[in-house]
Amino acid sequence: MNFDIGVILAKGPQILSGLGVTVLIWIAGTFLAAALGFVIATARHYGGPLIGAVLAIPVEVLRGTPFLVQIFLLYFGGPYIGITLDPIPAGLLGLSVYGAAYYAEIFRAGYQSVPPGHVEAADCLGFSRGQTVLRILLPEMALIVLPPSVNMAIILLKETALLSLITVPEMTLTVQAIGSQQYAFLESLVVLALVYWALVELAGTLGRLAERYFSRYRLALK
Amino acid sequence: MTWQLFSLLVQASGMTILISTISILVGLGVAILLSAARLSHLRVLHGFTALFISFFRGVPLLVQLLLLFNLLPALGISLSGFATAIIGLSLCTAAYQAENLRGGFDAVPKGLIESADMAGFSPAQTFLRIRIPIALRLTFPALVNEAILILKASSLVSVVGVIELTRMAQNLSASTFMPVEIFASAGLIYLVINQVVAAIGRYAERRLPGMGQAAR
Amino acid sequence: MTRPTPAISVVNVSKSFGQTEVLHDISLDIPAGQVSCLIGPSGSGKSTLLRCIAFLEETTSGRILIEGQPLGFSEQDSGYRARQSRAQTRAVRANIGMVFQQFNLWPHMTALGNVSAALKVVRKLPKAEAEARAMAQLTKVGLAERAHHYPSQLSGGQQQRVAIARALALEPKIMLFDEPTSALDPELTGEVLTVMRTLAAEGMTMVVVTHEIGFAASVGTQINFLDQGRLLFSGPPEEVFRKPRPQRLEQFLDTYIDRGASMLA
Repeated sequence: MNFDIGVILAKGPQILSGLGVTVLIWIAGTFLAAALGFVIATARHYGGPLIGAVLAIPVEVLRGTPFLVQIFLLYFGGPYIGITLDPIPAGLLGLSVYGAAYYAEIFRAGYQSVPPGHVEAADCLGFSRGQTVLRILLPEMALIVLPPSVNMAIILLKETALLSLITVPEMTLTVQAIGSQQYAFLESLVVLALVYWALVELAGTLGRLAERYFSRYRLALK
Repeated sequence: MTWQLFSLLVQASGMTILISTISILVGLGVAILLSAARLSHLRVLHGFTALFISFFRGVPLLVQLLLLFNLLPALGISLSGFATAIIGLSLCTAAYQAENLRGGFDAVPKGLIESADMAGFSPAQTFLRIRIPIALRLTFPALVNEAILILKASSLVSVVGVIELTRMAQNLSASTFMPVEIFASAGLIYLVINQVVAAIGRYAERRLPGMGQAAR
Repeated sequence: MTRPTPAISVVNVSKSFGQTEVLHDISLDIPAGQVSCLIGPSGSGKSTLLRCIAFLEETTSGRILIEGQPLGFSEQDSGYRARQSRAQTRAVRANIGMVFQQFNLWPHMTALGNVSAALKVVRKLPKAEAEARAMAQLTKVGLAERAHHYPSQLSGGQQQRVAIARALALEPKIMLFDEPTSALDPELTGEVLTVMRTLAAEGMTMVVVTHEIGFAASVGTQINFLDQGRLLFSGPPEEVFRKPRPQRLEQFLDTYIDRGASMLA
């Protein structure tokens, strides 16, 4: 077996450009997903039973179907229903909407985990509703939702690889293309796996550091 | 979208269920072996399991599957797409299940192990008869959750040529030019399967004997 | 005249957790058929001593002999302690049944399953025979009709009686009880103590760590008072509860006087 990883590594700049697209879509997609998820969770928390029930449907549908099917529907089906998007916007939209469903659940659990007594206490002290949310509810929630949010961000990082299947020029597509050109497909996949592995370990380490930082803050609160 | 097309999708979902079921079970077996390795006194095994779990949780499943499909032939191993898909999904889910089980094994009260010790159980008997059953009960909800994740993740084996639900949808979409109807139908079928699995899980959880006590 | 081998010999046993010495040079013989009670304030080391006797904790120095055979470590001629093989430990331990404060029933097995498990798995008895024997033990502790209940469906007192049946099923010569009623609501302690009294009346060698001074005074044949890791007193209950008592023991008993007052008169 002839195994030469050098021919892949020689294409460093190309790999980096793919990596750049991966990281940009990942970070932008995660932020959009978290923001949209927060909006959905907030609407479900405060919007009464009807809004809650209506919003539960898209969340359950998105969580119950594979991401791959979702992006195929969006990218290949979209033009038939008037949504024609280039690969990168389609990928970003798909990732954000998919992630939003999971973040909505994370934030919903966050809202539910804040003891009602804390909110009632703020009410009694004369906080306005907005002040209660900003000063009591959200800071307490932040500590609870951080670990699952980090976890979800890492899942989304790995899901970006699927965007290669709708021709987003991210890392998986780029490195596979190099592999084909160089007749070194296996080598390209080994490089690809190692880069993702390193990226995920890095993200995980950053997440743990953030959790440690905030857990110190939580102790200080007590 | 005709009934005929829809029934083709339903038939293909049989493959999705088959691959997922086998992978979950094989993955559970591998996860138990990984747990045994982690509980053993051999440092080498600890390092190996840590690396295994880190790799399979750290690399996108798509990349793992592509790697496996190219690696096995390069090593002179020729397996069907079906078999290779199952190996790939099993290894990946094993890593996640091992992490879930770790929490379960850690939560088995020490006193239950001591009482097995006093009753004369060997370490292997304690592992098989006490630790595993209790850890599995404690982590059962996580196992159901993992089953649903694997059902969805099995859509990726379409990329390596196994004709399951997603691949069938792609094929039909390309030949009929009805991607909206077909991918939406495929999504609906996934949704139904997952709801059924979740319902079975909730039912089984209630029926598992001794859950209340094990959770203490 | 040679004295019979004691059921349990504790010889110069010390035990430290890190820098903290929890047992200090304890020597104690428990002859067969005795009901030996370990009493003392919490933190006195009585549970640790019991766990050392069962080899659930390793002693730092000293020897534990069960029916004259060393448990856990075997003494070499040079005085060096060698760890026994698992098989040796298991063989010596087969003489001992243990009952824990927290019952430690296996939650995934019924009462019958708990009692018959070791008979099937360890003793390799056929299922029918193992379950017949288990059923006999459950009948003995008055729980035959609860045989097919899971631990979570039983009260604390019932769970502890199942735990006693589980230990008895292996026909041990010695039964160790580690605060068997401490995790129970007061109204449930009676049923467990009744089973233990019956066992004592049958001549079982028992070592009981307990706060039930009344039980110790009425059923115990040997009372051992530990304080801060030292065995301060060991003797028959008549001596222990006869006044005047050593000051530390007096203080300890004072705190329990309400629970066993009639016994101590």
